[in-house]
Amino acid sequence: MDKAIVIEDLSKIYKNNRGIQSLNLEIERGEIFGFLGPNGAGKTTTMKIMVGLMKADKGDVKINGYSISNDYENAMKDIGCIVENVTPFSYLSAYENMELCGRFHNEVNGTRIDECLEITGLIKYKNEKIKNYSLGMKQRLGIAMAILSKPKIIILDEPFNGLDVEGMVEMRELIINLSKKNKTTFFISSHLIHDIELTCDKVGILYGGKLISVEKTNNILKNYSSLENYYLSEVDLNANY
Amino acid sequence: MQIIKAVYINEIFKISKKKKITSSLIFLLLSVIVAAIVVYSLNNFAGVSVTGSSEFSVMVLTILSYSLFPLFTAFICIDMFAGEFADHTIKFTLTGPASRLNVFLGKILAIATFIASNLIVVAIFSFLFSLFLNGGISNPLRIIISYIMAFLPIFIFALTVVLISNFSRGTTSAFMFSIFVFLVFVGLSVAFPQIKSFLFTSSFDWYKLILGSYINVGKIFRIFLILLGYGIMLFAAGYYLFEKKDI
Repeated sequence: MDKAIVIEDLSKIYKNNRGIQSLNLEIERGEIFGFLGPNGAGKTTTMKIMVGLMKADKGDVKINGYSISNDYENAMKDIGCIVENVTPFSYLSAYENMELCGRFHNEVNGTRIDECLEITGLIKYKNEKIKNYSLGMKQRLGIAMAILSKPKIIILDEPFNGLDVEGMVEMRELIINLSKKNKTTFFISSHLIHDIELTCDKVGILYGGKLISVEKTNNILKNYSSLENYYLSEVDLNANY
Repeated sequence: MQIIKAVYINEIFKISKKKKITSSLIFLLLSVIVAAIVVYSLNNFAGVSVTGSSEFSVMVLTILSYSLFPLFTAFICIDMFAGEFADHTIKFTLTGPASRLNVFLGKILAIATFIASNLIVVAIFSFLFSLFLNGGISNPLRIIISYIMAFLPIFIFALTVVLISNFSRGTTSAFMFSIFVFLVFVGLSVAFPQIKSFLFTSSFDWYKLILGSYINVGKIFRIFLILLGYGIMLFAAGYYLFEKKDI
């Protein structure tokens, strides 16, 4: 199958000796991959390296076949992302923030911006300054920005943070629809394990900077009553070593 | 090229939306108006001739080159780098399909545009006031060239602030350190006049070299090369830090 994301021997160690070590992972096109792990396991570090916000000590990430370290612009051409938290420019409106994103893509115009704001339920507030937005509204804006250019790959770090229940359901549906209709690949990290179970086709668990398991959600649910049980058993197993 | 253009337009758009820009324009206009009132009063009521027919624009340029121009430029540079690092909005630009070199270039071009705009606004208003004060401008071409020349040392100062912003931990420390560096350079040129020609801060008024009856082309060229050297070194060092920075 066509590989959308390939992570090869990726390592990044901080001064406190935490970080990630020799991560290897392949994500197929159209897959929704859930990235799980306890706090400090290295999920955000991995995602930051994947989008070029950090440099790896060793290894590389290939996005659509392009190396993030050697061919950054081509690698990022078809990516939408939210990493760590959504930080739009507070002195601009939602529409203006979207315009900033859209300028990198010829195909994005005012209609597409409105369409994305409509999808994420922000169209009514599009001219309001971000400083007046709640956390959930900023999160919705982040998702609107991530899907703006109809990217082939979307990387989302804690996309459900700050969303109300209705928002979470809408976002889950949006992710599944985009994956089915457009074969958009998703790489999602979240602490909300139930949402990951309902959304993702495949799940990887990161523990202590190492990828301890990668498994299809269907297979997991054949052997475990829930993804939560599987996650806890995998983490317990590795914590004992 | 399209990517640099997108980054550049984005940066100009962000600058134009900041309240600091309106304030800086108002301050620049006020400073020209105040200077004009002072000159007019001294010329007409105190009997002291402060400026000749061509000198008002140059006087305004000299005052602003050592005060408001570097100050406002520092504000913008710090906002664009240290400010965006501090509030994490830099992620927004860096996760777009633009390499760090193109982002850096786009930002530097936007800063250059800001400096040039300030100079153009002040030039236009000082010309208008010169007409009002003196009834005309002699040597307008030389004055225009003076304003063009004034761009370079302010731009070098901007690159210094960009460099500082890339290793500072916040906007306040970046601002304080930039002011400190500026004062140290000015202090050094006063304390050690023999090294003055190597300090870019003493070149803020280098345009005066073309205003006299004799133009020392050799000296102008030498200062230009020194400023160019500063520019290349500061750009390279600023970009190196920007490229290496983990967000």
